[in-house]
Amino acid sequence: MASRRHLITLGLTALLALGSPPAAAGLRVFACEPEWADLVRKLVPDAALTTATTAWQDPHYIEARPSLIAAMRNADLAVCTGASLEAGWLPALLSRAANRTVRPGQPGLFLAADQVTLYQPHDHVDRSLGDVHPEGDPHLHLDPDKLPRIAAALAERLAVIAPERALDIQRNLLQWRVQWNLKRGQWRRLARTLDGMAVVVQHSNFGYLLRWLGVEATLDLEPNPGLPPTAAHLNRVLRSAQLDRVQAILIGSYQDRRPADWLAERSGLPVLVLPGTVTEEPPFEDLAALIDRLVETLVAHRQAGQPGDVRPMGQRDAD
Amino acid sequence: MSPLTLRTSALALALAPFATGQANELNPDISVVLDGYYKQNATALSHREEGFGLGHTELSLSAPVDDLFEGRLTSVLEDHDGESEVELEEAFLQTTAMPWNLSVRGGRFLSQVGYLNSRHLHEDDFVERPAVYRALLGSHYFDDGLRLNLLLPTPFYWQLGAEAFDGNRLSEGDEDIGVYTVNTRFGGDIGQSQSWQAGLSYLRNRQIHGEDDHEEEEEHGHEHEEAGHDHEHAHGAAYTGENLYIADLVWKWSPDGNTRQQQLTLSGEYLYADDLNEFAGSGDSHEGWYASAVYQFAPQWSAGARYGRIDLSEPHGDHFHDQVLKETDVMLAWSHSHFSTVRLQYTHQDGEGFEDADNTVMVQYVLSLGAHGAHGF
Repeated sequence: MASRRHLITLGLTALLALGSPPAAAGLRVFACEPEWADLVRKLVPDAALTTATTAWQDPHYIEARPSLIAAMRNADLAVCTGASLEAGWLPALLSRAANRTVRPGQPGLFLAADQVTLYQPHDHVDRSLGDVHPEGDPHLHLDPDKLPRIAAALAERLAVIAPERALDIQRNLLQWRVQWNLKRGQWRRLARTLDGMAVVVQHSNFGYLLRWLGVEATLDLEPNPGLPPTAAHLNRVLRSAQLDRVQAILIGSYQDRRPADWLAERSGLPVLVLPGTVTEEPPFEDLAALIDRLVETLVAHRQAGQPGDVRPMGQRDAD
Repeated sequence: MSPLTLRTSALALALAPFATGQANELNPDISVVLDGYYKQNATALSHREEGFGLGHTELSLSAPVDDLFEGRLTSVLEDHDGESEVELEEAFLQTTAMPWNLSVRGGRFLSQVGYLNSRHLHEDDFVERPAVYRALLGSHYFDDGLRLNLLLPTPFYWQLGAEAFDGNRLSEGDEDIGVYTVNTRFGGDIGQSQSWQAGLSYLRNRQIHGEDDHEEEEEHGHEHEEAGHDHEHAHGAAYTGENLYIADLVWKWSPDGNTRQQQLTLSGEYLYADDLNEFAGSGDSHEGWYASAVYQFAPQWSAGARYGRIDLSEPHGDHFHDQVLKETDVMLAWSHSHFSTVRLQYTHQDGEGFEDADNTVMVQYVLSLGAHGAHGF
């Protein structure tokens, strides 16, 4: 009898040990989107990361599925965008995971949108306007000026969660910043050639970067933010006088490319399908590389302006 | 119209101007679900009458209470024989900061047995719950009670839960704790595109045994037979047993995990109830299952089919009458945005011992206004 009880205790201990490695083994971080996983990796290279979404998924429409609940349960820190981008799934994840350290108002939940001011906050929204976030446009992760501020705030937060690594984190932040500033200088120079360029977009995924570069997102394939393109709306876009000034159609890799192809066929414009976030593999392995590719692609189309389909390497089929 | 309704709607009106924007964080989130339908013919075990009608109209308020609790109130307005009834479906507190990933819920809430039961009706892919749910759980079983959930520290998802309920909303009786349930759920991903969840539940109904209870049960059963489908929603389940076992399995697939573009959902549940009353022998039981496939083939469109079957033993004094209902549903749904759905459904029923089994076409809309809570898996 005693030995059986002993066995059960042993079994339970083994089970618990299997599931929860001691805190010293590493920081466990839950990143809602790959861009934040990239920043965390730059600051704490050995963090155990779970990333909830990929560049091939629409971050508005993720399900609070069992694997994510388990990862959130075991996390020391969750890093998300905020500003209601994850409103459809993050609250359910937090509630189901019942992790007392990761919840609103605690250091364990870091929201990037809370660290910077957003573009176009609204005092009044209603759903007839589409999926407009009252807090402002949440797709801020490609803004070359906002990212350093977010990275600094994230470093500060990581140091609160893992004070014993504060020095390393600070050093890594400095390194990242130096490289980022160099890159930002290059983008700034390239942006001069882009000034006044106009593109058709689908949703505001690239909005912050385009504004920073001086590229105008003249037309949107979505009739209202968050609603899929309709035939009637595409016809309106095709007939729009502004289409004459446009040099390319830029969409994200998680989006259905048929509407963009439809417009390309009739307008002769090239379709640029680029990941909206990092893919963890070259050539989009981190935020700087992704912005490099985006800027390069835009510059190539500003200069050449030739019709045709551009598919940078590493690009998977959209379907 | 009860005073409660008036008061809640007045509250909603008073809060509405602040429901958007950023200065509203001290006010609860308000959400309203409108559900209306047209149904060609009456069907067996249905909660929806034929003709034009309103389904499950919900008004829900929720908010964090402080740094330890969050609360939720859901009232449902339903029409029965031309009279509006207000019913509280949820009024609970939930802990948010318990140690060891424990969570406690207390008050009135939906039991977490099975896959569908804890979900709100407006999240469903078909107009009505499967026949087995309508028969054994009154579509969705909610009651006053207490829940304790524990999420185990495993690398995959594994949850254990137990609930204790008053029990009078399932079947009437004298026990203080009439129903308790235990439940476990596990799940994970298979690569980038697939995810799954499986669950096992057991519900013990302690109010089934005893002479008086039986009388009441039987009477209730007859009443149900005569009145058709009127009041069973308010009165709990039409068919009960002392033990109810449920197994459920859900599998979802999306190319690259991008659920926005396309998603296939296969789900199924098996329910078995025995010890129906003191006359029940080993062969007397209720048994039922359903299997459902829903394919969202474009962001705004989904199509689905569902087949289900129940084998019931209806108590008549000291013996039982067998009843069988087979139900097939096909549906097509269009969701213009995340907040509106219009659904066309055809239901075919084939029954033994059900005089009202019939085929019907239904058209339904489900609109959600205001705050839209995050959905579970």
